Amino acid sequence: MLYELSRLTRIFKERTILDLEHLSIEKGKIYALTGANGAGKSTLLTLLAFLDQPTSGEIRFCGERVRYGRQQLLHARRRVVLVDQYPIHFTGPVWKNVEFGLKVRGISKKLRQKRVEEVLERVGLENFPQADAHKLSGGESKRLALARALVVEPEVLLCDEPTANVDAENQEIILNILEGINREQQTSIVVATHYLSQTRRLAHHVLVLEHGSLSETMNENIFKCERIHKEEDFLVCRVGKEVDIRLACNQVQGLEQHCRIHIDPKSIKFLARDAQTQEKNILTGHIVQIEQDQDFVRCTIDCGIRLHAVLTMDAYLQQQLMIGEKRVFCLPDTSILLL
Amino acid sequence: MDLLVNSVQSAFLLLFSGDPELLTIVWVSLKVSGISTVIASLFGIPAGFLIAYSHFHGKRFVLTCLNTLLALPTVVIGLLVYSFIARRGIFGSLELLYTQKAIIIGQVILIVPLVTSLSIAAISKIDSRYRKTALTLGANQRQMAWVIIKEARYGIGAAVIAAFGRVIAEIGISMMLGGNARGFTRTMTTAMALEYDKGEFVLAVALGLTLMSIAFAINLLFHFFQGRDAIDVV
Repeated sequence: MLYELSRLTRIFKERTILDLEHLSIEKGKIYALTGANGAGKSTLLTLLAFLDQPTSGEIRFCGERVRYGRQQLLHARRRVVLVDQYPIHFTGPVWKNVEFGLKVRGISKKLRQKRVEEVLERVGLENFPQADAHKLSGGESKRLALARALVVEPEVLLCDEPTANVDAENQEIILNILEGINREQQTSIVVATHYLSQTRRLAHHVLVLEHGSLSETMNENIFKCERIHKEEDFLVCRVGKEVDIRLACNQVQGLEQHCRIHIDPKSIKFLARDAQTQEKNILTGHIVQIEQDQDFVRCTIDCGIRLHAVLTMDAYLQQQLMIGEKRVFCLPDTSILLL
Repeated sequence: MDLLVNSVQSAFLLLFSGDPELLTIVWVSLKVSGISTVIASLFGIPAGFLIAYSHFHGKRFVLTCLNTLLALPTVVIGLLVYSFIARRGIFGSLELLYTQKAIIIGQVILIVPLVTSLSIAAISKIDSRYRKTALTLGANQRQMAWVIIKEARYGIGAAVIAAFGRVIAEIGISMMLGGNARGFTRTMTTAMALEYDKGEFVLAVALGLTLMSIAFAINLLFHFFQGRDAIDVV
């Protein structure tokens, strides 16, 4: 195991930012870390980069308990690099920035030159070695931050929102670089992201953080809902402005006026036009997006709220879904979870 | 008015004639002030970094003390150092009184708080991500500190220039600890006071013009650094 975190908490000013019972991260894999703003993603990355100390609990790195003495920290930090969400560059040219990590490790000038040239070519900045690092565009700046991290050939690369605030072309370049170094150098990567659809392509595992804790459910298909009225054996709750969802009374005892629900994307079922069903929650919506996600197909339906459905490839081919098409689907009782 | 005009004319003649006494006075002033600025910077900049980046009880009190020391009168420092280095003082045996070293000691005490205070201000302005970035890229504490100081170099440079300007224009310490010995501890300010006492305005005005020129050059440098900082911020 690369990392093992147990009973770990991080508290800032009496507010618990992170509270993890157990988390294991395997060597050589790519992990996507997702969650809403303030879920604790950046705090977790900072702890994994040994730039901060947990309030309580333990981090084991490559089987050894992390100690926070100066020398032990320096040794651990030199194996892990964190690329910030908003990277800041040292004053000076691109070359000097990339060279920094090698210089502080006392690498010879000849080897520095070779490694910097290689990594600049890898990130597509080989034509700007002397450009002022502060004058790069957003995408170039992110790629420079990545180059600065990759040049030291870290065992672990932690990226905080690497594709945020950059155009589609640069997003693709960055994701390809991450995929490449994981494949070629077996670098373990943890990517915190909001753009799960992009990162899912390369991630072997997805970790979902919610209010500082790991969540079983993805942070998609989570909605705030308001209790409207009671009908026989179920409660009608409104999601968004116009979507009513019926929750079985035995599932929602003690439900407050406002609550949050999660709809499991894999449980959403598309219905044939003439199908008869006993399901309570039958909705109609337009299909607005279809994309492949490894062995599955992800489909986004606009029915007043944006719902994500995940189908097996067979189910997708059988349903013959098309973008723009209006389709009827149902949410089985078991697909709705009260949070 | 005639007196001033005549004095200025004569002063210019004296300046351009390369008068040896005038040049010696200017050289002593620049040497003493230069050395005290270097020593004060060697103490003040690292101290500024440590204070800016440390979290300890009483940090606010230390900052208040430093700011108070900025207003310390030169004669108070002169008296204090005199009590230590006078023949009957603790360090009397070192025979420092009325030497350039005595002036340097006093001037260092005068400007260490200034360099420290302005360095704290310059370093505190530096984005905390520089520290985080340097550490994650493998820098040790010393290498990280060097990164921060390099990024704050304009502000720190301005602190050093301000300190030099402070010591080259001071008179209390130079007079009380240096003794205004001709060709040895006579600085521009002490010489001007002496010439004024004697009623010899020409040398006093010439020294005044030189001092003003140096002060002007220092301010030009200061504004140059400030300007660069301002551009960086924009």
